[in-house]
Amino acid sequence: MTALALPTPRMEEWRWADMAALKAAADSPRADAAIDPATLFLDIEGPRLLFVDGRFEPAHSKPGPVQVTQQVAITDHPLGSLAEGEGWSLHIGPKHAVTAIQIVHLGTGGESHVPGRLMLDEDAVASVIETYAGSGWANRLTTLCLKRGARLMRSVRLVQSDGFVSLRDEAEVGEAASLVSIFLGAGGMGSRIDGSLLINGKGGFAEMGGALLTSGSQKQEAAVAVRHEDIEGTSRQLWRAVAADKSAASLAARVEVARGAQQTDGEQSLRGLLLQRTATVNLKPELEIFADDVKCAHGATVGELDRQALFYLQSRGIDPARAQALLTRAFVADALARIGEEAVREAFAADADRWLDTAL
Amino acid sequence: MLKITDLRAEIDGKEILKGLSLEVNAGEIHAIMGPNGAGKSTLGYTLGGRPNYEPTGGSVTFDGQDLLELAPHERAAAGLFLGFQYPVEIPGISNLHFLREALNSQRRARDEAPLSGGEFLKLARAQADALGMDVEMLKRPVNVGFSGGEKKRNEMVQMGIIGPKLAILDETDSGLDIDALKAVGEGINRIMRAPDKAVLLITHYQRLLDYVQPDFVHVLADGRIVRSGGPELAHELEREGYGILAA
Repeated sequence: MTALALPTPRMEEWRWADMAALKAAADSPRADAAIDPATLFLDIEGPRLLFVDGRFEPAHSKPGPVQVTQQVAITDHPLGSLAEGEGWSLHIGPKHAVTAIQIVHLGTGGESHVPGRLMLDEDAVASVIETYAGSGWANRLTTLCLKRGARLMRSVRLVQSDGFVSLRDEAEVGEAASLVSIFLGAGGMGSRIDGSLLINGKGGFAEMGGALLTSGSQKQEAAVAVRHEDIEGTSRQLWRAVAADKSAASLAARVEVARGAQQTDGEQSLRGLLLQRTATVNLKPELEIFADDVKCAHGATVGELDRQALFYLQSRGIDPARAQALLTRAFVADALARIGEEAVREAFAADADRWLDTAL
Repeated sequence: MLKITDLRAEIDGKEILKGLSLEVNAGEIHAIMGPNGAGKSTLGYTLGGRPNYEPTGGSVTFDGQDLLELAPHERAAAGLFLGFQYPVEIPGISNLHFLREALNSQRRARDEAPLSGGEFLKLARAQADALGMDVEMLKRPVNVGFSGGEKKRNEMVQMGIIGPKLAILDETDSGLDIDALKAVGEGINRIMRAPDKAVLLITHYQRLLDYVQPDFVHVLADGRIVRSGGPELAHELEREGYGILAA
């Protein structure tokens, strides 16, 4: 694998990261893809890009306006900075829209690094659906820039059967622009979803959230920081973690409000659900506020399924396993409800259901 | 239909039901009244199979089956419906989704074909209309943000959709204003007043009995039935208070 110094658990921001799983995935041998890539695209009209082990596959793609380019990583993030070389990029002009862009990353083993870049000019609109499947270590850096009034809906699902997925998002959200990124970790892989969102225009909106479902000895985590640098900005971090068996799901969410970023409205909701007492959920909400007229709500709770609710469902004829599945689905529902497009939301809900069917 | 013989039950090692016997036949409505702490809710939960409500003696048969041997969902499929005093709020599951799961789970357990989405929706709408519940509320998460009265109406809508043989209704009248009380009372009569059905109404006050005329009234005190009679017993209790039991 890449010879470099990976972050270690001794670094505070990486204390829950499963670097051993990442290394093992990077060292795993490549094999023939066992999945037909066509099955990984949702049945929605729009540009399609397939990357297999980090390499663009034109035969299964119809990129439309999305370009495949060589890129240099401009970040000091330890994993993000590795994502250089062939990647995708799209620049959408003012008031133009490109929706339902599907990017599928299929891994067969080993490591793959792909950068992605999306620029939205004033009042441009885009939606992107990303799918990670297969195995190996998929490492990605995604750079997002939203100019005034631009809107982006991004839905990302991690359904690799094993291996590791590390995602680094770096976003700038301008005046009255809106960025919503929702993630679902519902595969057998380890993961690190890492985001840095900067709101640097008046009234910008930035949201990053989702659901991590872990079982076996798997570890998944999300570490997100939102920084408010202009006034009247809004940020949302709504994460749900469900951990079964001896797995661990970790959520670290940070809101920074710079001096002068008045009337900021920040909200963090981190909730964990333990399906067995051998499982672990780590939550770390952080607020750093240097302005005096702000509203920052935050909540962090870990619990088990509500016994009263379980009995209520059973008393109406629903068997215990099904009752558990329903309540667990309900627990993650509000995170997935943030996905704007119904077909995408339903596909993600189906992924969550499949996870529940195997984990419970 | 339901035969309870010398039932004893405890919660966390404390005996609450101390040898309760009661027989409910098809076509009958029985009211169980009694002071706070007498064991009324414990009776409901024990019959429903709630965890921590541990039967320690006696027997309960339901249509000839040993009820206490069945898991809660099997009791439901056998035709028992427990109306909750405090219906549980379940964020993230719509009423419709929940009820369709419930009804079809029961139907599958009885080897009946599950209802299709359309068939189910028709049934659900009819029951909501009959109870004066806005159909829109069926699309909302189960009991979330519902007032006390709306939750109890929702219990009745559930009962109407599920169509049980025996309903055990625990303080279904508590927290209801007069309109809701009337609607709930009419719901019980419409859904459960039938020759092949029966109701066990657990209540502290007589007022629900103005709308649902019981055939038998029993007084529960200290874990046992201490008096049984006709509807006039409820009026006597209302007039004299539970103090007369001590006399």
